[in-house]
Amino acid sequence: MWLLPILGLIFGAVIGSALTFQVPPGYIKYMSIAVLASLDSVFGGIRSVLENHFDGTILLTGFFTNALLAALLAYLGDRLGVDLYYAAVFAFGVRLFQNLANIRHTILLQYRNKKNRYRGDGNE
Amino acid sequence: MRKWLIPITLVCFMSAFFLAFQLKVQANNTNINPLSQKNTNLVTIIKDLEAEIASQEDQIEKARNDISAMQNQQTKGQIKELQEELMRIKVVAGLTSVAGPGIIIVLDDNKDGLNANPNDDPNKYIIHYEHILNLVSDLKAGGAEAISINGQRLITTSEIRCVGNVILVNTTRIAPPFEIRVIGSPKILGEIASSRELDILKTSGFPVTIKEDEKVIIPAYKGDLQFNYSQIVKKEG
Repeated sequence: MWLLPILGLIFGAVIGSALTFQVPPGYIKYMSIAVLASLDSVFGGIRSVLENHFDGTILLTGFFTNALLAALLAYLGDRLGVDLYYAAVFAFGVRLFQNLANIRHTILLQYRNKKNRYRGDGNE
Repeated sequence: MRKWLIPITLVCFMSAFFLAFQLKVQANNTNINPLSQKNTNLVTIIKDLEAEIASQEDQIEKARNDISAMQNQQTKGQIKELQEELMRIKVVAGLTSVAGPGIIIVLDDNKDGLNANPNDDPNKYIIHYEHILNLVSDLKAGGAEAISINGQRLITTSEIRCVGNVILVNTTRIAPPFEIRVIGSPKILGEIASSRELDILKTSGFPVTIKEDEKVIIPAYKGDLQFNYSQIVKKEG
């Protein structure tokens, strides 16, 4: 069941490292904030799957808009002289950690419930 | 098939793609961060100070010209002899522009060689300060009376050194192509220049041009000239 996303990960990694496209050096940090934003959407999506309130539209639109908005805001911040880049890093970083913690939480609880159910049936 | 499988797969694919791409870019881009605030500040400071140096050198030049004008006023007799002696010494010291027969040498980095061997050590394809230093030594051995490198006149206290990948002459940054103007006997200078350092450079593939000229104009030394430690030794008896 999880095989397909993992295949997607591997495939994406292979293609990403094979591509040799030159980003203009000034824009590299905007790419990195977009990467952080997309990572945050991925883990948000995984969390929503585990908590059974997954919505494909939210995930996909969130993915693209977050990445784009993060890069745009970082660029705007540079023009204004305010380091909005760090605000974006902070915001996405916090969300990333929260999503990861929730995923761990949910997985542990599900595992524990499964174990308890087994035990319950066995003792019948 | 669960309804979330496809979107998650898609998102995972794109994230992994971006991640791998970004890692690759970062790996190629180790320390050069052109937007680093500290680097921008340092570059600005350097540019401002260099502009200040240039304006102060202009002031020095003007002051020296004024002094020369006062020293060269019409006089006769003994003072005239002293004036001429003073002028001669200034010429020898490099404080005046001079013109005369000589040669003009142009050196540049070996860009073609570097392009042909992009994976080779780039240090083999650029002009180092030692090349210029050796060349100047050869020229002096050939009887050079005045030498300038990219407009910087060499005097007795001039140095030729390198800081990182930049060559400094008279504490001024100079960059390739290097134009070295020499006044002296064009024939002897040409011979001695081509026989040693320049020969080595030419066989290594560096672009080198030597041109003989009837009237090579070499600018005056514009820097400071303060001797704080030397004292005149009076000859006893």
